[in-house]
Amino acid sequence: MSLNRRNFLKSSLAATTAMTLPIPAFAADVLNVALIVPSPAADVGWSHTLELGTKALEAKYGDKVKVTLLENIAEGPDADRIMNKTVADGNTFLILGSFGYMEGGLKLAKAHPEVSILHASGYKTAPNFSPFGARYYQGTYLMGMAAASLTKSKKLGCVGAFAIPELITSINAFTLGAQSVDPAIEVSVVWVNSWFDPASEQQAAKALLAQGVDVIFSNAQDTPSVIQTAEEAGVYAFNLNSSMKAYAPKKYLGVVGTDWAPYFLQSVDAHMSGTFKGASAWLSMADKCVFVADWNPDIPADIVTKITDAQSKLESGAFSPFTGPITDQSGAEHVAAGVTLGDDMILSMDWHVKGVTTPLPK
Amino acid sequence: MTPLLQLKGISKRYGGVQANSGIDLRVDAGSIHAILGENGAGKSTLMKLIYGVEVPDDGQIIWKGQPAHLSNPSDARRLGIGMVFQHFSLFETLTVVQNMALIVPGSKAALSARIRDLGARFGLTIDPRAVVHSLSVGERQRVEILRCLLLNPELLILDEPTSVLPPPSVALLFDTLRALKAKGMAILFISHKLEEIRDLCDTATILRQGKVTARLAPRERSARELATLMIGRPMPPAVHPTPQGLGEQRLELARLDYLNDDPFGVSLSDIGLSVRGGEILGIAGVSGNGQQELAALISGELTLPGSHRDCVRLMGLPVGDLGAAERRLRSFAFVPEDRLGRGAVPDMSLSDNALLTAHSRGLVRNGFIRRQTERSFTADCIARFDVRTPGPHAEAGSLSGGNLQKFIMGREMMLDPAVLLVAQPTWGVDIGAATEIRQRLVAMRNKGAAIIVISEEIEELFEICDRLHVLHKGRLSPSLDVARTTVDEVGTWMIGAAA
Amino acid sequence: MRLKLERRDAASRWATVAAPLIALGLAILTSLILFAALGKPAGQALYSLLLEPFDGWYNISELLLKMGPLMLIAQGLAIGFRTNVFNIGAEGQLIIGAICASALPIYFPTATSVWMLPAMIGLGAAGGAVWAGLAAGLRTRFNANEILVTLMLTLIATQVLNYLLLGPWKDPHGFNFPQSVMFPDVALLPILLPGTRVNISLLAALIASGLAYVIMRHRFSGYQLLVGGLAPRAARYAGFSESRAVWMSLILGGLAAGFAGACEVAGPLGQLQRSVSTGYGYSAIIVAYLGGLNPLGIMVSAFLMAALFIGGDNAMVSADLPVAAVFVFQGLLLVYYLGSLTFIRHRITFNGMGRA
Repeated sequence: MSLNRRNFLKSSLAATTAMTLPIPAFAADVLNVALIVPSPAADVGWSHTLELGTKALEAKYGDKVKVTLLENIAEGPDADRIMNKTVADGNTFLILGSFGYMEGGLKLAKAHPEVSILHASGYKTAPNFSPFGARYYQGTYLMGMAAASLTKSKKLGCVGAFAIPELITSINAFTLGAQSVDPAIEVSVVWVNSWFDPASEQQAAKALLAQGVDVIFSNAQDTPSVIQTAEEAGVYAFNLNSSMKAYAPKKYLGVVGTDWAPYFLQSVDAHMSGTFKGASAWLSMADKCVFVADWNPDIPADIVTKITDAQSKLESGAFSPFTGPITDQSGAEHVAAGVTLGDDMILSMDWHVKGVTTPLPK
Repeated sequence: MTPLLQLKGISKRYGGVQANSGIDLRVDAGSIHAILGENGAGKSTLMKLIYGVEVPDDGQIIWKGQPAHLSNPSDARRLGIGMVFQHFSLFETLTVVQNMALIVPGSKAALSARIRDLGARFGLTIDPRAVVHSLSVGERQRVEILRCLLLNPELLILDEPTSVLPPPSVALLFDTLRALKAKGMAILFISHKLEEIRDLCDTATILRQGKVTARLAPRERSARELATLMIGRPMPPAVHPTPQGLGEQRLELARLDYLNDDPFGVSLSDIGLSVRGGEILGIAGVSGNGQQELAALISGELTLPGSHRDCVRLMGLPVGDLGAAERRLRSFAFVPEDRLGRGAVPDMSLSDNALLTAHSRGLVRNGFIRRQTERSFTADCIARFDVRTPGPHAEAGSLSGGNLQKFIMGREMMLDPAVLLVAQPTWGVDIGAATEIRQRLVAMRNKGAAIIVISEEIEELFEICDRLHVLHKGRLSPSLDVARTTVDEVGTWMIGAAA
Repeated sequence: MRLKLERRDAASRWATVAAPLIALGLAILTSLILFAALGKPAGQALYSLLLEPFDGWYNISELLLKMGPLMLIAQGLAIGFRTNVFNIGAEGQLIIGAICASALPIYFPTATSVWMLPAMIGLGAAGGAVWAGLAAGLRTRFNANEILVTLMLTLIATQVLNYLLLGPWKDPHGFNFPQSVMFPDVALLPILLPGTRVNISLLAALIASGLAYVIMRHRFSGYQLLVGGLAPRAARYAGFSESRAVWMSLILGGLAAGFAGACEVAGPLGQLQRSVSTGYGYSAIIVAYLGGLNPLGIMVSAFLMAALFIGGDNAMVSADLPVAAVFVFQGLLLVYYLGSLTFIRHRITFNGMGRA
């Protein structure tokens, strides 16, 4: 091919003299960061919080960092090609926003040792490839306490994306938190098998409402459908990642939020100083990643006190929701009294605690 | 007196073909003017120019003394020109009255009433609620004529209007046209039926190869003279078959009943007929009395349940439940009444259209099409049946109606079938070609083929057939020996008056 | 004076060449304005969209990788479209093909037989054909509309895939993520062009194109399908079986889509996962029509559509275009192209002036 980018730009410059043409600067002193997410980066949800995290990079480093957002990238061969393309274009720091990018990302990491990659919610690690995730369960435990104080039917519900350990732990902690206030609480779950499917999510929420559920946990949806449906039905609801209070001004229970800025900043610092090391990062309240906010004023004062108390213990690391005795759905004791589950056990959790009435899909 | 319509030096060229060249024409109010010419002589093009469908390359159209620019048919209709086309422009999925309402203003109820009224006056009876796709070719033409009359035109163009009408209706139509003329309307009448023209028209313009070759008063000339002027050479002689020895039974229908699901279609009851080798059997009758259904039942496009397979016997074997392909394998061939879209694929070349039914004649080997054989078969057909076309590669849709009919007829005849079914063999075909087609049918019969001709033209049937049946409202008359029957007797059966 | 479209006597050669160029020019012009309004680098965006997919060996190899399944499926579908059998469910047939092919490596993850790959592809193609055959059976037996049936079968196929990936076929060590184990090496297609991801399925797509050409140009069975599409009454008149046309169309379309599905899991994916198809089954419909339902045209249109898809992704990476702007550009190009196609068979005349 005789045409390369540079002489094409020259020729097209002639045609577009009236426009300024900012040619991407790939100078050595600028770090090019690419963020790849599977859904459209809307105003709320998972992709949005990742985008906010990269904004913090730009805020701190200014012209030294340039972030490219690649949204709506389906997992599979296309994503592999696009990742390759970002590296070929001079991006040396990649943030992969979906589990499905794992195999392609690992291949890329091996081929390009100079590139550092952060990969959301995976389980494989390489010297320049770090999986990262958030301990949502710390927040959902607190939400469970609040939900138990507001439910009348003693039935809580959850619309879940995929039955993966990350989401299972969130549901279990939510259930345990609720049972810490009222041991009779039960939780039903509907899995929609999608991160982004407003219609199915709405249907799932309606199915839960029909069962008499009066607090709903929107577990890892990137749309406000569940929250909106709950608001219309006059039922409390909460979600993960970013606040959706705007969609449910009256019945919004709160948000288990994530702030990726500290982790991204720390990783980019390490990359710039050449000390980046691939390692699993499972970020907690203590890491300033997981937080709870936008509490509903309906929560009784005594419960608010209890929640604040539990929150400070979670932040200090003095307390873990997965401390025995914990009984599983079959009624058997899964965690003995006094034992706290280690991270590896939580990360591979494939069972529900007693009180979750829906069996886990196998 | 200022002529109603005058053309001066009109020319029109399509690609490489000069369709009209320097044509002058004058039509006066209160007269019936004939346009005579063979297929391809440029009659239809000239009419399209007058009706605004096409714009002339050169020349002037003058309407009541004023130059007129007709860029589309609605311009022409506004001036007061109406036209009935040879190929119909009706929406098949709409009813008769819905089709009318697209052009004619007025409520549907009022229109329906006018349709019934006009239909009764001109013998063009039609149910305004009938859906067009369920109508026969003849019935559709009635709709076209009625639609024009609804607009009260000053000049009415009729392109071969009588070809599908039964004799009593032709007479009625002529009465109507004369009445319209008496009211001051001008009529441009295109026909190849010379007797009709001599009967009806005051003046005539004859076209040959896009040019005017004569202007005359048809009543002062003989039909033979007119024909010679039209085709540029003496007329081929008419054929009258001499009786000959009959062969074995080839096709037999017995106690054939067919119940049509279509509410506007025709059901057949108790049909019985038989054809032997070496004879031509005619099916007379007005279109829409079950001809389409009868032809489809014989061809295998409609099949009977296995329990009734005996109702149709081909070469002595029951075939009622066999499809068209299997009947063709048993030496049956068929020329349908509609050529474009049924007898031929308009968007395919003549070569590929030969393949449609002639594939068994060595045009396909091991499932592969043999292009060479296909082309030579087609070239042979074009040459032997005098099809006027650039060659085997020409698209079927580009041929005139008569030429395409010759091609299809040629293709089916070249299959050398034991039984040949032909529906409306000369409909829309000019007089020279029609005579030729009839001659070939007779020649085939003389070689021992069994032939069934379904036609609305009684004269044609009398000319070539040995025996006749008349189809009326789905029932078949007894067999009538042509030598011993009369046009009057057949006409009586056609309108269902005979008991 | 009025503008009027007039049908040409024959397709214009000049317009055939000019139409895509005019479409491209108009699309570039419109998007220059659009990109400028968005404040994006227009030159860079157009370079990424239009030229970069062809710039260099690596880019072209990615183009070939994307083009393979599009071409394969489109060839299968076009045969049916030409006889008015509208198989809209190639996406579902592809998914079923991928599932059937995946069964082998999932149940025999440690297999080493060289027959693994041919068996997978055979199963995949057969699976796609059976899935499409359901629609053919319903159409010929009960006159059920194949457009609706194939579309609905796609939804069912997606649910079958979900069920398998969330249940029995889930990777036991995959932390409950909905995907299968990675396939063993014997279940992966050999790479055709060293150093790229292009595997031998591209050859299969090219062979399929050749077969489609032979069927539609030289086989009597293909001719019968053409007649059925162009003039159904002529097909009935000649006695060409309509149900045979329906079966043949759907089975061929299903075979091609199932084959493509098998090649995806045995090719770039290397496992069965939820995003086994990124809309290949639907894009192939556009490819088939852009290629004029002609086997040679489809080879060109598959190549161009692949370039358009990849160019769109490139523009997001290199020119920071939002994904919606990319869709707008792709849509513009298609709309202008389809519009300009009119001029191949028609010309504009200025009416009322008389033709000079």
